Amino acid sequence: MSASRGRQLRALVRKDLQLEARTRETVTAMALFALVAMVVFQFAVGQRSDDATGVAGGIIWATIALAAVLGVGRTWVPEREQRVLHGVLVAPVPRLVMLIARVIVLWLFLLAIEVLIVPLGVVFFVHDASPEGLALVAGLCAVANLAIAVPGALLASMSVFSRARELVIPVLLLPALVPVVIAAAGGTHAVLGPEVQMAEFLGYCRFLAVCAAVFCLVAYATFDHVLDD
Amino acid sequence: MVRVRGLGHAFAGRRVLAGLDLDVPAGQRVAVVGPNGAGKSTLLSIVATLLTPREGTVEVDGARYPDGVRDARARIGYLGHDPQVYLDLTPAQNLRLFGDLYGVTGLAARIHDALAAVGLLARAHDPVRTFSRGMAQRLGIARMGLHDPGLLLLDEPYTGLDADGSRLLDGVVAATSRDATVVMVTHDLDRARTLCDRVVMIHRGRVAWDVPAGDVDLPALAARYEQATR
Repeated sequence: MSASRGRQLRALVRKDLQLEARTRETVTAMALFALVAMVVFQFAVGQRSDDATGVAGGIIWATIALAAVLGVGRTWVPEREQRVLHGVLVAPVPRLVMLIARVIVLWLFLLAIEVLIVPLGVVFFVHDASPEGLALVAGLCAVANLAIAVPGALLASMSVFSRARELVIPVLLLPALVPVVIAAAGGTHAVLGPEVQMAEFLGYCRFLAVCAAVFCLVAYATFDHVLDD
Repeated sequence: MVRVRGLGHAFAGRRVLAGLDLDVPAGQRVAVVGPNGAGKSTLLSIVATLLTPREGTVEVDGARYPDGVRDARARIGYLGHDPQVYLDLTPAQNLRLFGDLYGVTGLAARIHDALAAVGLLARAHDPVRTFSRGMAQRLGIARMGLHDPGLLLLDEPYTGLDADGSRLLDGVVAATSRDATVVMVTHDLDRARTLCDRVVMIHRGRVAWDVPAGDVDLPALAARYEQATR
């Protein structure tokens, strides 16, 4: 008997989605945190400025990055708390398949909170956002999520055996996400203003794609050793 | 089936295994006994591919570690102190997950049979969190045997079970492991003697003695155990 990697990948993603559907712990925590953060930013920035469009992208993506830390921190928690880790690690699953499953699930969780946060950010901070601009931000989210989910999944797995994982994850992940937040905020700013600046937007998208590719290469080179040594 | 040579391992500078050699032929059931800290669970974790040894070699059914680790994993069924199932999933969801990870064919029928064998068919769609410890451990046994492993590695699977639960597990383990090679770590000398073909005692990271289970009665086994640990 040998399982195809596709079947193993589907099984691992389905398992995480089933756990989330049952417990509603991760996405709910991320969404509530992001919601509260947006409201705080609205009081701190939105009421002091007639037009906060210039800082909207930064606020939205800083909030998403911080919410991502929460989501990454929850990764591998069921396996640790319910002592399933050995049962999963002893299965003949390539470690790369485990990483890809984590990336897909984190990507979906981020998308779920962006559905809430991006429109809220537009309502709070942006004047005259165009439907075209919003559609482009949705595309940007797809690339930026990958650039967040890959290092997130890698760090979560690296710290799975660490006692100080609640400290390790934010301390290592947030600096790694700085270029992603800068590019995602820049890309958002480029299309949420009164005029869509497509060239600038595409430049930021390319930069995010390069970030995602670099993180993927690092993860590919290291992940086999992360869980086995 | 299992061939271990010169196995050495240490945790934080403390040597746990010190050049351990062990051969387990196919189809044999071996009980590994010994005092706490003797290296039993470390040995099992290494054979289960959960730990990389500092020294020595391990071979399971011709697959030598580390190159053959993935082949070996497909042949291993591992059950520890805990059932290693997700508490927030149902037994059917847990077994489907592990069946997919191991590439089990005809999975729906296999899940049905496995749950029936451990008496959990009626609770197939209840979250495992609502189960007693014994019920969860029975599910752990179903998980362990779902892919028909040739080698069962059992690390004190009776921990935390009451007498009824342990008796039930005896029967389930015996049925599940009918055609498999078994290496079972236990502190229960009587169970080691009655369930297994051979009893191996590990002390200070090495095999202290190795006897056929049928050749010794319980008092003799207990006396040898006491003598070795004195």
